[in-house]
Amino acid sequence: MVSNTLTGAVVDTTASTPEKTMSNVAENEYQDQSVGAPLTSQDINKMAFRSLFLQASFNYERMQAGGWLYGLLPALKKIHTNKNDLSKSMKGHMGLLNTHPFLVTFVMGIILAMERSKQDVTSITNTKIAVAAPLGGIGDAMFWLTLLPICGGIGASMALQGSIMGAVFFLVLFNVVHFGLRFGLAHFAYKMGVNAIPMIKANTKKVAHAASIVGLTVIGALVATYVRLETTASITAGQAVVKVQSDVIDKLMPAFFPLMYTLLMYSLVKRGWSPLKLISLTMVFGVVGKFTGIL
Amino acid sequence: MEITLLQALALGILAFFAGLDLFNGLTHFHRPVVLGPLVGFILGDLQTGIITGGALELVWMGLAPLAGAQPPNVIIGTIVGTAFAITTGVDATQAIAIAVPFAVAVQMGITFLFSAMSPMMSKCDEYADNADTDGIEKVNYLAMTVLGSFYFLCAFLPIYLGAEHAKGFVEVLPEQLMAGLGVAGGMMPAVGFAVLMKIMLKNAYVPYFIIGFVAAAWLEMPVLAIALGALAIALIDFMKKTETAVVAMKEEFEDGI
Repeated sequence: MVSNTLTGAVVDTTASTPEKTMSNVAENEYQDQSVGAPLTSQDINKMAFRSLFLQASFNYERMQAGGWLYGLLPALKKIHTNKNDLSKSMKGHMGLLNTHPFLVTFVMGIILAMERSKQDVTSITNTKIAVAAPLGGIGDAMFWLTLLPICGGIGASMALQGSIMGAVFFLVLFNVVHFGLRFGLAHFAYKMGVNAIPMIKANTKKVAHAASIVGLTVIGALVATYVRLETTASITAGQAVVKVQSDVIDKLMPAFFPLMYTLLMYSLVKRGWSPLKLISLTMVFGVVGKFTGIL
Repeated sequence: MEITLLQALALGILAFFAGLDLFNGLTHFHRPVVLGPLVGFILGDLQTGIITGGALELVWMGLAPLAGAQPPNVIIGTIVGTAFAITTGVDATQAIAIAVPFAVAVQMGITFLFSAMSPMMSKCDEYADNADTDGIEKVNYLAMTVLGSFYFLCAFLPIYLGAEHAKGFVEVLPEQLMAGLGVAGGMMPAVGFAVLMKIMLKNAYVPYFIIGFVAAAWLEMPVLAIALGALAIALIDFMKKTETAVVAMKEEFEDGI
């Protein structure tokens, strides 16, 4: 999405970006900068098939990250023949991700093209989030609110007349659309991404900057929507009961606690706390909060 | 009608795979309209299965998981509900009432799994560090096995032992603790974001983070709208830089002459 629209504007100013915004260049960039091995149609099909397990290891901390990486693995192994690069890429893909399980192959196709062109890990992660997160709402509208009710409604009305064809009709209609989109989007996105490789390669820094802008704006939005933390506490003043969350916090700053908690976690991560420690802290916090009745 | 051990096991296995299909595979054979006939087939009464499935499909329609909110579990509801509808002859909608405690139990199981899998992500980080692709795959397979087993138990126990007897198992679950884990689950993405931000949030990009937060928290804009707005900002920045670069280049040229 990002890369495509930028094509026209950049072509003539390739080498004119002297600024280096990357602080940890070595850790961020792949050692082997040559374009990775091309992926065959079978590779893309394999990826699309594996994308069925996007939510296999779903969890509250990284959400779909484990399943996302699972889907990309065979292609990543082919692209990164250097073991250090493969490890770098895998680490990057273990970052929090949540997207629509039906439309995910669209993101995967683009990301694999970026991996092939050896963009740095931060750009890839930013692009991944910028494309993946908005797909959630689109996919919900397409599948849960449109396709499922249509197929289910027709199937159920046939079933209520006692016909097994209801089940058959439902399964076939739903999955023709489902698999058609899943495999079609994978190929479409990968081709689109590959066509953009020369442009991305020539404008690495600029693409990275643009991806960071969109990526971090989306992360800011996601912190407000994905992190859920509300207090159930209330203050009783004589006759009046003031609910802290809905009467005070929400009026001053919605998503105040989610932001504060995220920033607290962020500062602790920066101080070198391991994610494992933070997860334990969060679990204790949640359970104690529930027992004491403030959460 | 009595349900044999073999039939109960078959229904449990059906629940195992249907449970996986809810999150993985997504062929939607876990919907009542398909599960109903399958349960009917296993219990030897296909016709009742078809009709019960159709009725339950209408009950659950529109209850698909939207934006992470979990509706009552459709798989346990359908399998246990249809099984009771067939064996006791009660109405389909009455039959689901019997299934509710088990549908709730499997939901607790899912909450527990999603919490327990969070620490496993640190293990995955380690695998990634060593470029151990098999390790990553194993974690995914393990998680699916555990999830499927929850479903197996929540279908098998009430069907084989009878709902009354099986309720005892479900009531053992510490509800307050599970609710606490649920609360922790809501907060948990904060850790995931913190890890991401450590790598990605350079000072120059803090303003964009704030813009995104404001747009979502106060303006309650959809993420797609926010992403497109951010793309516009990125483009403005992009073109401005191109212009100055072009101007600078021209000046150099003129100086040279």
